[in-house]
Amino acid sequence: MLHRRISQFFFIYLLALGLLLLFKYIFNLSDYVIPGPLDIHHTATLFFSRYLRDGLNTLSVAVVGHVLAVILATLVAIIGSRGNLIGSLIKTAAYNLQAYPIVAVAPVIFILLGDGLVSRLLIAAMICYFPLLLSFIGILTEPVADIEHFYVITGRMRWQLEVKIRAFENIGKLSTVIAGSATLAMVGTIVAEFIGANAGIGYSLRIALYQSNIAKVLVALFLIGIFNSLYLTLLEGIGYLVLKKLKIQNGVMS
Amino acid sequence: MTTPPVYFECRNITYHYPKTDRLIFKDLNCRLRPHGFHGLFGTSGVGKSTLAEIIAGEISAESGELTGKPSATILYSSNMERLPGWSSVGEHVAKVIPRRQTDRMEQLFSDFGLTACRNSRFSQLSLGQKNRINLIRYLLQEFDLLILDESLANVDEAMRERIIFNIKEMFPGKCFLYISHSLSEVSRFCDTILVLRSPDKTPPIIPINGLNIRQGESTDNSNLERIMLEIVHAA
Repeated sequence: MLHRRISQFFFIYLLALGLLLLFKYIFNLSDYVIPGPLDIHHTATLFFSRYLRDGLNTLSVAVVGHVLAVILATLVAIIGSRGNLIGSLIKTAAYNLQAYPIVAVAPVIFILLGDGLVSRLLIAAMICYFPLLLSFIGILTEPVADIEHFYVITGRMRWQLEVKIRAFENIGKLSTVIAGSATLAMVGTIVAEFIGANAGIGYSLRIALYQSNIAKVLVALFLIGIFNSLYLTLLEGIGYLVLKKLKIQNGVMS
Repeated sequence: MTTPPVYFECRNITYHYPKTDRLIFKDLNCRLRPHGFHGLFGTSGVGKSTLAEIIAGEISAESGELTGKPSATILYSSNMERLPGWSSVGEHVAKVIPRRQTDRMEQLFSDFGLTACRNSRFSQLSLGQKNRINLIRYLLQEFDLLILDESLANVDEAMRERIIFNIKEMFPGKCFLYISHSLSEVSRFCDTILVLRSPDKTPPIIPINGLNIRQGESTDNSNLERIMLEIVHAA
């Protein structure tokens, strides 16, 4: 799984780099606008270890933000999936709020909370929170009639059991949604760092932009792609193991 | 001659499928006696399951009245149901029945030929085994009327006979409404057979007395044929 994802990333990255260099040579652009291969290699040698640390910093914030978003979205979705007034309110609020771009709120967060870890964490969590919430609410409000019927008609249905049935029956969907939102967490963290933070690969990108150093940007993009692939593979791997375990229990795995 | 007591009665039930003009029942009247193994028979799509769901209170009729024993528990089970997959079927059934029914559960598992399956997950079972497991968990609930909608589908004939005899013997004080497409089965085993007809026919439902045979009783073939013909003509 990791091998496939990394090789896919390498293919896309090298293709994009090739096109950029082709563009440079066709239009005879200077090294200042698009650096040559040797310049990129030189920058990579000089900044790789620093950017690696920045990338790990970003990844750790994205992972924590993602976990927080998953926990929060689960709790809110459970409340939102209830048929009562609070549930309806939460559902309506979630659908309306998610339409508002979180990035637009980011400056307010930086002004109020400063440019440290908390702001990065909050923006990372918020960016992946709404898609998670909407998916979770969708899953938890969809009845699994052929299983739930017995509990309903015999008066045994409780909200905890309802959540358990719906989550269990949609474990594949949940796993896909969580893995898919990991990219959003990475994007959120990088955007937050780019806008106003004082650490992380997004911050390094901002510095590179101020210096108009495309070679640094390309090195940073390479590391972002690698870290993103690693995190996605890790989540897909966990999802695969969970599904495999459940399928073995249910006797449907060969 | 005294009139038999009525346990449940539908009066002038009218129902269309939601968001369509398709009429399913118009002024449908039927009644069930308090105990016994009754049948509901009709051609495919005539509305047997819909009527069962109306009786169980899962859907509401547009007009008409349902009367019966006050606070009666009516359960509706069908062959479309599944058990959750997170535990074995044995664990699941043990968890959803009253504790005092444990002995009866063991007996039913044995009588229904499911002892070997109790540690399996629901998805590992055959269709017939799934239906029998589902039936067991319903039989062990508190109920006055249990509607069995094709609950013995995909179960072989000999086992079906054994199960029906078992139900009659173990639950003599309960009322069952057995929905089946098998003409001979309802004719042989059911007490009253409600033959549901298409809405253009009047009356929409006709009650016919079945043979209602029990364990050890032999089938009177000439009577069986007569009942089967009656049902065919009624449907």
